[in-house]
Amino acid sequence: MEDLKAYIESGVLELYVLGSLSESERREVELMLDKHPELRTELTEIENALESYADENAVNAPDTLRSATLGKLEITEEKKVQVIPIRGRNNQFYKYAFAASVALLLLSLVALTNLYSQLKDSHNEIVILQQSNQKYVAHTNFVEGQLRDAKQSLDVFHSPEQYKVVSLKGTPNAPTASMMVAFSSQKSEVMIDVASLKMPANDQEHQYQLWALVDGKPVDLGVFDAKADSAGMIKMKSLKNAQAFAVTLEPKGGSINPTMEQMMVMGTI
Amino acid sequence: MSRKTKISLAEPDLIRAIRQKQRLGSEALYDMYSASLFGVISRVVPNQELAEDLLQETFIKIWNSFDSYDETKGRLFTWMVNLARNLSVDKLRSKDFRNNNKNQDIENSVITIDEQRSTTLNPEVLGVREMVDNLKPEAKAVLDLIYFKGYTHVEASEELGIPLGTVKTRVRLAIISLRKLFN
Repeated sequence: MEDLKAYIESGVLELYVLGSLSESERREVELMLDKHPELRTELTEIENALESYADENAVNAPDTLRSATLGKLEITEEKKVQVIPIRGRNNQFYKYAFAASVALLLLSLVALTNLYSQLKDSHNEIVILQQSNQKYVAHTNFVEGQLRDAKQSLDVFHSPEQYKVVSLKGTPNAPTASMMVAFSSQKSEVMIDVASLKMPANDQEHQYQLWALVDGKPVDLGVFDAKADSAGMIKMKSLKNAQAFAVTLEPKGGSINPTMEQMMVMGTI
Repeated sequence: MSRKTKISLAEPDLIRAIRQKQRLGSEALYDMYSASLFGVISRVVPNQELAEDLLQETFIKIWNSFDSYDETKGRLFTWMVNLARNLSVDKLRSKDFRNNNKNQDIENSVITIDEQRSTTLNPEVLGVREMVDNLKPEAKAVLDLIYFKGYTHVEASEELGIPLGTVKTRVRLAIISLRKLFN
């Protein structure tokens, strides 16, 4: 400790700070400083005092010297050097990604428009095809209906052993009226041949009613309408036996007993 | 006169910024120390133009040879002020300079500088300056020769005609007085 005190008092630390020691003297001082922390405290105080002394004797350099001097110091802005390439690469990537997205969007729009118009065309075609298909179905149904009617009529007329065809003639109420009724006692069937029906058209409130005369009593066989363009046979109520048929005009739905004054046609078997 | 905003950093931050050669580091370095260093330089070299050149040279050297600064050996300013002083003394003693300039009387020159330049004084330390002037004159003279004129203690002993031991003692006395003033 005594040695250190003497060392401090020698004033060598001050000269060290002032930079007026030789190279070898400096190294000696640095060795001492490394060994003794208390010397370092002393050193710092000397440094601070001299810095303050210089501060107090400071002279401002001309303002123009600042930029001139700083301009001569090489700067490496490390932060920028680190950041720029990453950002650049990102920017580049986003730029291309954006361009690609826009191109894709435009392409999609074109394709979508194209597909939409094609879809509309197809839809129109489907509608047209459906319409014509319906027409054909209707036509086919109509033709099938006609064929069935014709076949039924033919069946009746080609089986004289089974069906008896009874021709009903007009009464004074309707002198021009006539119709045909096919009757099979075997099958208990009574059918009206609509094709041969020649009766005045009935109105909405009235219908024709077919009657059979069985042992002198009228038996109800059902009602029918007289329409201009009808064809085929209409099956009426079943009946085993009959001597004659007659048609009267009755209120819609028919009556229990025939209205004799409104008898239009009749015929015997 | 002085810039409105001066950049200032704590010493470890400043050292780091200079090592990384950041612009902030260079600006803080200049703003914090140019006046103190210029005070020393212009006392060693009274010629204004030359002193300005030397200040620039000093900063370039500080900047470019910053690797040789070791903060474990001492404070940043100590290193810089010695560097500035050595550059100035070298210039002053170079043949070019001697051929172009008459050597001024050394003792007068410190006073001359202080008369020529209006040294910028912080109002806070105005009183301090008077106290510094009241330092023992013989002690202050030795310190000023070494600190502001760049004399070695050997040169100072020769210049003042006093023994080497006395130079050391007086420098120490002067600095002890400064420590009492500033701390």
